[in-house]
Amino acid sequence: MKKLLLIVSGLLLTSCAVKQPGVVLPGEDPAKTIAPDRGTSSAVITLLDKARDATRAGDYQRAEVLLERTVRIEPRNASLWHYMAKLRLHQGRYDEAIGLSSKSNNLARGNSKLMADNWRIIAHARYQSGDRQGAEQAQDRARQLQAQ
Amino acid sequence: MAKRPTRKRKKKSRKKKVKTRKSTSRSSGWFAKIRQWPWGKAALVLLILFVGYTVYLDFVVRDQFEHNRWSLPAHVYSRPLEVYEGARLSPESLERELNILNYRYAFAPRDPGTFQRSGNEFVVATRKFRFWDTEEAERRIQIRFSGDIITSLKEADSGRDITLLRFDPVLIGGIYPSHREDRLLVKLDEVPPLLPKILVAVEDRKFHEHHGVNLMAIGRALIANIKAGKSVQGGSTITQQLVKNYFLTNERTLRRKFNEVIMSVLLELHYDKQEIMQAYINEVYLGQDVSRAIHGFGLASRFYFDKPLAQLDLNQLATLVALIRGPSFYHPERHPDRLKKRRDIILDVSHEQGVITKQELVAAKQLPLRVNKQRHSATTPHPAFMDLLRRQLREYYPDSMLSSEGLRIFTTLDPLVQRDAEKHVRQRVDSLDRQKQLDEQLQVAAIVTNVNSAEILALVSDRNTQFAGYNRALDASRPIGSLMKPVVYLSALRQPNKYNWLTQLNDTSIHLKDPSGDVWSPKNYDNISHGMVPMITALTQSYNQATVRLGLDVGFEKINETYLQLGGEKQLPAYPAILLGAVEMTPMQVAQMYQTFAANGFRSPLRSIREVLNANGEPLRRYPIKVQQAIDSQSVQLINSGLIQVVEAGTASSVRPRIAQDIILAGKTGTTDDLRDSWFAGFSGSHLGVVWMGTDDNQSTGLTGSSGALRLWGDIFRDLTLTGVQLEATDDLVVVPVNPGSGKLTSIECEGAVYLAFVQGTEPVESDSCTSGKIKEQIEDTVNWFKRLFR
Repeated sequence: MKKLLLIVSGLLLTSCAVKQPGVVLPGEDPAKTIAPDRGTSSAVITLLDKARDATRAGDYQRAEVLLERTVRIEPRNASLWHYMAKLRLHQGRYDEAIGLSSKSNNLARGNSKLMADNWRIIAHARYQSGDRQGAEQAQDRARQLQAQ
Repeated sequence: MAKRPTRKRKKKSRKKKVKTRKSTSRSSGWFAKIRQWPWGKAALVLLILFVGYTVYLDFVVRDQFEHNRWSLPAHVYSRPLEVYEGARLSPESLERELNILNYRYAFAPRDPGTFQRSGNEFVVATRKFRFWDTEEAERRIQIRFSGDIITSLKEADSGRDITLLRFDPVLIGGIYPSHREDRLLVKLDEVPPLLPKILVAVEDRKFHEHHGVNLMAIGRALIANIKAGKSVQGGSTITQQLVKNYFLTNERTLRRKFNEVIMSVLLELHYDKQEIMQAYINEVYLGQDVSRAIHGFGLASRFYFDKPLAQLDLNQLATLVALIRGPSFYHPERHPDRLKKRRDIILDVSHEQGVITKQELVAAKQLPLRVNKQRHSATTPHPAFMDLLRRQLREYYPDSMLSSEGLRIFTTLDPLVQRDAEKHVRQRVDSLDRQKQLDEQLQVAAIVTNVNSAEILALVSDRNTQFAGYNRALDASRPIGSLMKPVVYLSALRQPNKYNWLTQLNDTSIHLKDPSGDVWSPKNYDNISHGMVPMITALTQSYNQATVRLGLDVGFEKINETYLQLGGEKQLPAYPAILLGAVEMTPMQVAQMYQTFAANGFRSPLRSIREVLNANGEPLRRYPIKVQQAIDSQSVQLINSGLIQVVEAGTASSVRPRIAQDIILAGKTGTTDDLRDSWFAGFSGSHLGVVWMGTDDNQSTGLTGSSGALRLWGDIFRDLTLTGVQLEATDDLVVVPVNPGSGKLTSIECEGAVYLAFVQGTEPVESDSCTSGKIKEQIEDTVNWFKRLFR
């Protein structure tokens, strides 16, 4: 798990605490994480704030509940599904992380930064589940998207 | 008086018994004496029996009282209504929700659970409720609507904005032990201090002095009863009443009375007065809510006054104490005078005993009863949903735990959608039944889910929606007919190099031999063969012969694969009739399969539970949203663009005018041989609905998917707050206007232009420009429609 965290942090982030809603995992640089879509409602932002606090406090179950509430309010907001995926990855629930990342990609509509991050989550989840080849493919997709 | 010698004798013998343990040599003399004594042997046997029995009762008292003081039923809640600025909700829906929650109308809402509405503005005093993630506090809020959207949400007093808020959820039922007792446990220090004092004054003045039994009181009662010639007074102490309710049955026998006395003494021996009072306050029977028995002051306070016990005033406490004598005899609505009289007696006695002052007495007696008359049954039976819930819970929890541990179960049920669905089921099924003269045999199952969260919002499985019996939605496996066709067409569209919507199919008679040599010759519903038709027309018009040819061409293996990926549970048998839906599925299984269409190829197990908490509100288990990409979204969008045309111009077009034009819908009708089953599975961008109609004994109903199930689906969907189906743009997918007749691109203003999705490069290149000369009158509508389809 620690190793995974290091990889995650290496790819997505580094340190310091800017106040940005969404899921920021321990060790992540909030400035480098995906920001909520511009059209995100204040109701959802409020919940994301709480989810971030819960994640920081290590209360992942609570963060999970809060994120599910955001998705019920804005089901087509791709970044919300991304946050859920990230949390699942952190919880070690790899299959669920892959599913949620794909869902986020499906709604991402050309947001290549978001899609690249989703593919990174898929890469890690696949790697952790023992699918090295799949992980590499996902990693390649992430790189391509990042280059766009 | 006559009893005294016996008691003494018992005492003596007990002492002697102790001695026997010390000295066996003397015991023989002791035994001998007793045996010589007239009736000695019998007395000895009786004594041994008595001691043994007492030991047994002592075990019962301690074991039950210590270990499982009460079986607490599981309480089941609906989803909470969540409001925020921008939420799509009509003022009517909010008012209905508040009514279901028993919020009362008030001119100046102050007390939690009251509200006021003037036009599009509400002021609501919300109730406190503890959810898993946070507690929602009591608040006075103001909500404004514009049309069906919340435009402002504020604190009513300070005017501060509230970003979002959850109302308390509706208690939709409980999972009860067989005796169906319900209670809300309270601790003595949470109880208004006046309550135990009133109870002592009224029920048992010597409570703090006696040892379980008050002989004086029994004697007094005896005399009073003899004088009156009937039972007018009870001499039972609070301890006895507790024992009677807690350990014993209601029968009036000497044996029970005997047990009651012994057990009361034993209870007092082991537990102090505080514990006994607390147990009494939680145990006592105070009312009936249909089949649910209301026990204890905690629940009775909520039930009769819609308030926590700690907030009750003297008048209300006295009213509850008045009910102890007989909640039915003193029923607040049936016998308000009796109850008021009894309440006044309670107040008088409380004053006599120095519990309340003269002023308090006078003030309280002037008050009306103030029992909440609006109290509906707190348990609204939605039997089909509750059955589904139990089945999903049983995977992790044994029945005994469900009915005893006081679990709090938060479900996905939307009480507004459920109630509407129930209403429409009753009305529509009744009218179709009459129309087709089916003698009340027409049956139904309906499921509504949320497309994105895969939550089950409503479930009906009987035309009598309150009847808890055969759960057709979960257990009635029926042939799905043409609901199978999208599986066949999707399997074809997954090979974009071979098939697209304009691929020509041969809709002419077909004869297939099965292995036994029988010939199968499927016909179209209209008994006409249509010759060469484009794939889109074969789907929207549900042509059987073209579909069978397509299916045979695609191959069973591929169709089976698609079917399983969509959520089909069993392998499909490889015979041609499955192509036309000779596959039995329950409505729930159909919903699971169509959920994958609706969610663009993402499969999510349909859920009825969000979370389960223990009695202390701590999380036991969550049932999280899970999604898995089962089929690539691009292929599913191809098929969905065809399913949209089924509603726009195909077999389901009759529902189109019934639902707002700006909501794009998709779906498929299904009808089985001899019109035995009528199906419709359809979805918007937000909701999926599956409806089945048929009879339990498989008679012909005279209904097609379109004339039966689709109508009910339309009734239900017309009431929902919907968003339309949307296709997600990808680089590889194009949606273009085509003319299926010519197989060419066309322009949107041309008559017969249909928007269909193609994999880039497979769309037609040639275009025809309204050669027929017909031009649509309302081009704007079409343009807007297209805009809505793609974001």
